[in-house]
Amino acid sequence: MKLGPVAACAALLAVVTACGSSATPSAGGGGGKVGIDHPRADSDFWNSYMKYVPQLAGELKVDLMPATNSQNDVGKLVSNVQALTGQGAKAIVMAPQDTGAIATTLQTLENKKIPVVTVDTRPDKGKVFMVVRADNRAYGTKACEFLGEKLGGKGKVVQLMGALSSINGRDRAEAFGECMKAKFPGITVFDEPTEWEGSKAASMLQTRLEQHPDVKGVYMHAGGVHLAPTLQVLKQKNLLLPPDDPKHVFVISNDGIPQEFEAIRKGEIDATVSQPADLYARYALFYAKAAIDGKTFQAGPTDHDSTIIQIPNGLEDQLPAPLVTKENVDDPNLWGNQVK
Amino acid sequence: MTALTASTPRLRLARFRDLTLVPVIVLLLIAGAFLDPTFLTAGNLTNVLQQQAAISLLVLAEALILISGKFDLSLESIVGMAPAIAVMLVVPVSAGGFGIELPGLLVIPLCLLVGALIGAFNGFLIIKFQLSAFIVTLAMLIIVHGLQLGPTEGKTLFELPESILYLGSALWLGLPASIWIAGLLFAAGIAGLAYFRVGRSLYAIGGNSDAARAAGIRVDRVLWGVFILGGTLAALAGVLETGRLGAIGSNQGVGWIFMVFAAAVIGGVSMDGGKGTVLGALTGVLVIGLVQNLLTLKGVSGFWQPVVYGGIILIALMISRVAGGKAQD
Repeated sequence: MKLGPVAACAALLAVVTACGSSATPSAGGGGGKVGIDHPRADSDFWNSYMKYVPQLAGELKVDLMPATNSQNDVGKLVSNVQALTGQGAKAIVMAPQDTGAIATTLQTLENKKIPVVTVDTRPDKGKVFMVVRADNRAYGTKACEFLGEKLGGKGKVVQLMGALSSINGRDRAEAFGECMKAKFPGITVFDEPTEWEGSKAASMLQTRLEQHPDVKGVYMHAGGVHLAPTLQVLKQKNLLLPPDDPKHVFVISNDGIPQEFEAIRKGEIDATVSQPADLYARYALFYAKAAIDGKTFQAGPTDHDSTIIQIPNGLEDQLPAPLVTKENVDDPNLWGNQVK
Repeated sequence: MTALTASTPRLRLARFRDLTLVPVIVLLLIAGAFLDPTFLTAGNLTNVLQQQAAISLLVLAEALILISGKFDLSLESIVGMAPAIAVMLVVPVSAGGFGIELPGLLVIPLCLLVGALIGAFNGFLIIKFQLSAFIVTLAMLIIVHGLQLGPTEGKTLFELPESILYLGSALWLGLPASIWIAGLLFAAGIAGLAYFRVGRSLYAIGGNSDAARAAGIRVDRVLWGVFILGGTLAALAGVLETGRLGAIGSNQGVGWIFMVFAAAVIGGVSMDGGKGTVLGALTGVLVIGLVQNLLTLKGVSGFWQPVVYGGIILIALMISRVAGGKAQD
């Protein structure tokens, strides 16, 4: 039974190499193809990232293979990676949304000496050349500090959490909760497990506002899914008021998509943490190319305002994620201002 | 004569079978009132009804389809896809549209039309082509969701015409419009299935389609109509949900179908066709909505909510089994 796929792969490989034999030696400056798998096609953040990838590949002169998409399914990711290596990828860029189940694939890739760069998530086990990711705990902490200061250390806030089965949802929720407990013990936090779903977010926020009409702050884990439902609920409750109104509800978001910036300009929400889609794409490709070229990196500060830290299974470059408020929302360097 | 006298008590039992969840609802209301003072307020209960309005239309559609002995999984994908396509036909390219820019008032009719067309296509494959309803609509669930992801490229549609937001967010006589709409449609469903010939024929078809055909019912035509109606109701659910959320996310409606089946089955609708009522299905939606609301009010930890939630559905199922007396299928 095992022979079928192997034979198919071998046949495919033969065809691919045969077809590409004249092109391969001259292709790219890096001397190896980079295979890339995108994690999903249904989120605003990832769609922006996917748009940056081919653009930046041209700029960084990376020989990029046609991207695959694993649609949030680790099983598909595993088979996509097999297909990419079968087609001759010398480095793999992926964003495993399930950080546990990817371990064996990473092991296989390590045995084949194919370096792996993961974007956005840090695999629990298995060797990675570099993890490119913003510090998601910092998102939670920044949101906590912002709301804590705006509320003067007292009152009630609602946290619309992402899926707790994802490391990013957990990191944001834990950091927010810990920071609130340590720095603003006077603030009561209501945790709403929305599973990254707008429908659940709207219902939960509506219910909580009915129970506690004096809620003064909202922390949304993902602007892409939480923004419109939150605004719609606040509007229905007549709570969508300008920031200087005493009844204004302070809202801070994560992601940094253009619609959040628009809402900040209108005064409907107060801030967001911009998750750098452009830097994710840029440094994922940068490290993949560097790995093929045989470069190595050490823990410590980098030349692009970030820090590389040592993690048990490799290195992680923690990219900066700026807090965006009314003051800096028009900064042209923010990726949310560059997409159209 | 003997046949007549024997059928009277059975009819009464059948009536009770629809209402087996009423004790569960009463129990939930009492328990909820003790657990949280907000629970039994008019404001909170209105919210629950509003939150369940969209999914209740899906339950209504699924109940009709199940009663007539068929199956439709693709309804959940229509909830996101139909409004998304309708909106894209209306809004300019800069807002993510196709660039056709039809008048904004057409968006709801277009949305319902898309839903009806998908229902008609399902009906064509299942009735004319005689394919398995389960697999056809499973494939359609995937295809229809893909037909939303493809054109939108997975993006959330934020800039929507006012007309599609209206029904899901307006107030009529102090209550959200979506509650009125769902209420009226359920009333029509209850009356239609109880007193009208077409409605009664669904039971006959679901019970035994050959017998129904022999009795002179136009089985194919009625079934096709049910699928088209189901698709249209799902599209309307999409309109209500869009108005409530203020944007169309690429996963709008995804995963609903499990809740829809849970609501219909605990409400006494049989998965084998021919049994159950729209009123029963309605009680099923209400139970699920009240449980969700209570879990949120009590702030049950996100890690444990699914367990509690699933457990309560199982208990409701058992109560309806014990109270209903008959084995469930």
